Amino acid sequence: MAEAPEQIPGERSARGAGTDSSMGRPPLSIAESVGKGRTLRGDAWRRLRKNRLAVAGLVWVAIMVLLAVSADLWVPRYLGDPVDIDTTQAASQSLQPPSWDHLLGTDRMSRDIASRIIYGARASLLVGAVAVGIMLVIGLVMGAVAAYYGGIWDSIIMRAADIFLAFPYVLFAIVLVGVMGGGSPTNVFLAIGLLGWPGIARIFRGSVLAVRENEYVDAARAMGASTPRILFRHIMPNAIAPLVVYATMSIGVAILAEAALSFLGMGVQPPAPSWGGMLSEARGYLFTAPWLMVYPGIGILTTVLAFVLLGDGLRDALDVRKKE
Amino acid sequence: MPPLMEVDDLRMHFFTRDGVVKAVDGVSFALEAGQTLGMVGESGSGKSVTALSLMRLVPEPPGKVVSGDIRFKGESILRMSEKEQGRLRGDRIAMIFQDPMTSLNPVHRIGRQIAEPLRLHKGASKKEAWGAAVELLAQVGIPQPAERAWDYPHEFSGGMRQRAMIAMALACDPEVLIADEPTTALDVTIQAQILELMREIQARTGSAIIMISHDLGVVADIADHVLVMYAGKAVEFGAADEVFCRPLHPYTWGLLESLPRHDADDGGRLSPIKGQPPSLINLPSGCAFSPRCAYATERCCSEAPHLVEIDSGHSSACHFSADKDFLNRSPHSATGKL
Amino acid sequence: MAALLQVEGLTKHFRVGQGVILSHMNKTVKAVDDVSFAVEQGETLGLVGESGCGKSTTGRCINRLLEATSGKIEFEGVDVRRLRGKRLRVYRRDVQFIFQDPYASLNPRMTFGEIMAEPLVIHGFGTRREREQRCKEMLAVVGLSPEHIHRYPHEFSGGQRQRVGIARSLMLRPKMIVCDEPVSALDVSIQAQIINLLDELQKEFGLTYLFIAHDLAVVRHICDRVAVMYLGKIVELGGRQEVYSSPHHPYTESLLSAAPVPDPQKQRARSRIILRGDVPDPMYPPTGCRFHTRCPIARFPICSEEEPPLRSVASGHETACHFAKAFPISAGRMTSGDAHQQDPFGGFDGRPGGNLGDFS
Repeated sequence: MAEAPEQIPGERSARGAGTDSSMGRPPLSIAESVGKGRTLRGDAWRRLRKNRLAVAGLVWVAIMVLLAVSADLWVPRYLGDPVDIDTTQAASQSLQPPSWDHLLGTDRMSRDIASRIIYGARASLLVGAVAVGIMLVIGLVMGAVAAYYGGIWDSIIMRAADIFLAFPYVLFAIVLVGVMGGGSPTNVFLAIGLLGWPGIARIFRGSVLAVRENEYVDAARAMGASTPRILFRHIMPNAIAPLVVYATMSIGVAILAEAALSFLGMGVQPPAPSWGGMLSEARGYLFTAPWLMVYPGIGILTTVLAFVLLGDGLRDALDVRKKE
Repeated sequence: MPPLMEVDDLRMHFFTRDGVVKAVDGVSFALEAGQTLGMVGESGSGKSVTALSLMRLVPEPPGKVVSGDIRFKGESILRMSEKEQGRLRGDRIAMIFQDPMTSLNPVHRIGRQIAEPLRLHKGASKKEAWGAAVELLAQVGIPQPAERAWDYPHEFSGGMRQRAMIAMALACDPEVLIADEPTTALDVTIQAQILELMREIQARTGSAIIMISHDLGVVADIADHVLVMYAGKAVEFGAADEVFCRPLHPYTWGLLESLPRHDADDGGRLSPIKGQPPSLINLPSGCAFSPRCAYATERCCSEAPHLVEIDSGHSSACHFSADKDFLNRSPHSATGKL
Repeated sequence: MAALLQVEGLTKHFRVGQGVILSHMNKTVKAVDDVSFAVEQGETLGLVGESGCGKSTTGRCINRLLEATSGKIEFEGVDVRRLRGKRLRVYRRDVQFIFQDPYASLNPRMTFGEIMAEPLVIHGFGTRREREQRCKEMLAVVGLSPEHIHRYPHEFSGGQRQRVGIARSLMLRPKMIVCDEPVSALDVSIQAQIINLLDELQKEFGLTYLFIAHDLAVVRHICDRVAVMYLGKIVELGGRQEVYSSPHHPYTESLLSAAPVPDPQKQRARSRIILRGDVPDPMYPPTGCRFHTRCPIARFPICSEEEPPLRSVASGHETACHFAKAFPISAGRMTSGDAHQQDPFGGFDGRPGGNLGDFS
């Protein structure tokens, strides 16, 4: 707001600060309850904290992120390299059950499972974040265009969204592998991100259309506000809340999809660690070495659940109107 | 003989995470057959929760009747089994809701919905019940009832939907008809039709009506007894003429004074009640109205007044309602306005 | 002297149905149809009527929240419908709007201070500090505490939010405010506070109000002149006294008689006209006089054939009824509690009544 300050209309008229007393209005009782200025974000945080499941989800996500980010610093040294096989003791160390040496046991190639789980988390979270990022970029633009321009654009975008929704992502991933060659995390990002945007676009379009009906948008127009101002100051902030929830949950869904693709061999390729890939390798040892299957399974389950719980908590926390 | 319906110091509290909401906190009244009781109050005064409590429709938990009793013909509704309550509800006591759009089921034909209580309570056959439904539609003034019974709710206008709701409530000849803001969603000319219809029905069936409204005009129009509610409490109860023309409680004075009138010039300025209604979680100590009352004394802030009969049949919950000098200070006696 | 606001032949049609392909099947609803009135500097003109009569649409057309289909709107002699860009913004500075719903009309993600400063920001007035100062002053003017500037709408009750809505409309020192049902969402005791506030602000700032409401009592209290609308048309227009104490249009009379007064003794003694049926579907308005399907006195062919123009019945008092003068209703024909009188005149047969029945 760097406009040249103009005189506020009526400023110089006789009336100034003393007007309220001259009007003899009874004082309002609410004045006593005035607290310090609270922020909306502070309120949302307070509400989120009250929801124990959401806090549990948040804590779990935080732990996962911390482990994944710091992995290079300590995991290879203390737990063992997730990829390279220690040839000197390969034979004796393979398929060890959990012990003090290997907290979660070892796999067929003598690699430490705890180490692979942590690096697998890294792959999963990265895929989740990037895929949802792609979804958001495409979805927001598409949703905004559909809602704002309406008419023919709305029809085209929404029908395109329907087609994308009907497209099985596994099939799409196979096509991508075929086109780009070899399985890699990039395929996974693209498959999930390119196919996931219709959900974001639909929600954003719907919430923009709903917010646009609010009288405060009319009020801004009646004041003479410009279109960008109405969009960015009034519509966007109010339309984005449901998206935060959806995007959070989508990360969980993307992690699940990554696991599925890796399991089928179209995602992260062995020997690089990923939860889906580890499950795939564990298939043959379901009875002889069940820990191979159990830990990556728990990793997927808890992480996806954590994101869903967090999203659910955010839904309630971000509702401004919700009284405490 | 006990009165038809009697409420005795009813307290319905809601136990929520944020605290105890005292939605109804001491309401008493008695209702005789053929009477119309008007319940007035602003939003949050507990009038709707009172009505729902009479029907035992308040979800428990979070709601809980903390004390008091509701008696129908001398029998406590609160102590009845679920089954007995169900038999009473919709049969002996029926309710009309504010929004006829959401209280009619959009996927069923009007006729079927009106026939429903008959099939439920009277064991009528499908055909009998449908015939009765058509008859009821005629009674509430729906033209061509035999054909309109086949309509779905969205094919009815707002006024007609409210008529259909009334027909449904009347199906089993209830002895008490509870109407919760039945005309609030309607235009004033349609409101007049509905009020007229309710008057007609009462004259014909002799049922008692509890009319809940925030509109003092509607209550003055239809009620012979009035219960004024504030912050979950009954603050004044009496015959309509008494309450409107010789109000005893400062809140009732305030309400009447703050109303603009369309039948007379009120001369310039209204006299509103200052401040805001209190939060039901955190009620002021003493009289709940004391922070907004122009006449409040120290006693009002510490000691809660009870509903006490001042004149015969006219009671008020104010420490000073029995004080003649105090009443003379009321805006009504001072200006002789009413 | 020319009026501050002059509306002539204002018409607003809405197209109903959304087919691009079958667009010829779309219907038009004449929400406002050939409405004319003037608002003088410093007065309050009330627009009353039941839901769907077009009163809100009229207000929104005047504020350019909706674009009128045809007609002329002149503010201080300037054609409002042609304003674009900068001049439109200047017009919007002069003509502000107060909305009905104090919950929907304030952005829940902005503080009171941000909400109130927004008009100043949009029009580039003041520095940040000056704006904040002005917001604090204005909060005091509307009876709130200046400290509330950093609080959010959801922390407050309807009445307090409505005060902020009013404060926002005053920030630019407008000449006129269109009030669209500003008190109908509020409780009785709060409603009176807001009405008094509007009264005081009018005196203090020399404001002109166009006051849209369905509550006859509120309109009588606050307005100098009143226009009664029915199905998109003004049926009666005149000074408050004349319209309320000697209404000439049967609709005005019925409306007044239908609204109960909060006094049981008076209410029993009042005459009651219970109109039959519902307001007709505005998509298919009745021929001739739009009120004739529900009118207690319409019984002549002309009522269903010819649309009555707004004619003067007394100085400054106009009404649109063929029989406004021939049958002054208040002369006692419909009075004295004839509530159950089904058909005072007979001969209703064959009138185009649509799906309406005799409800009385």
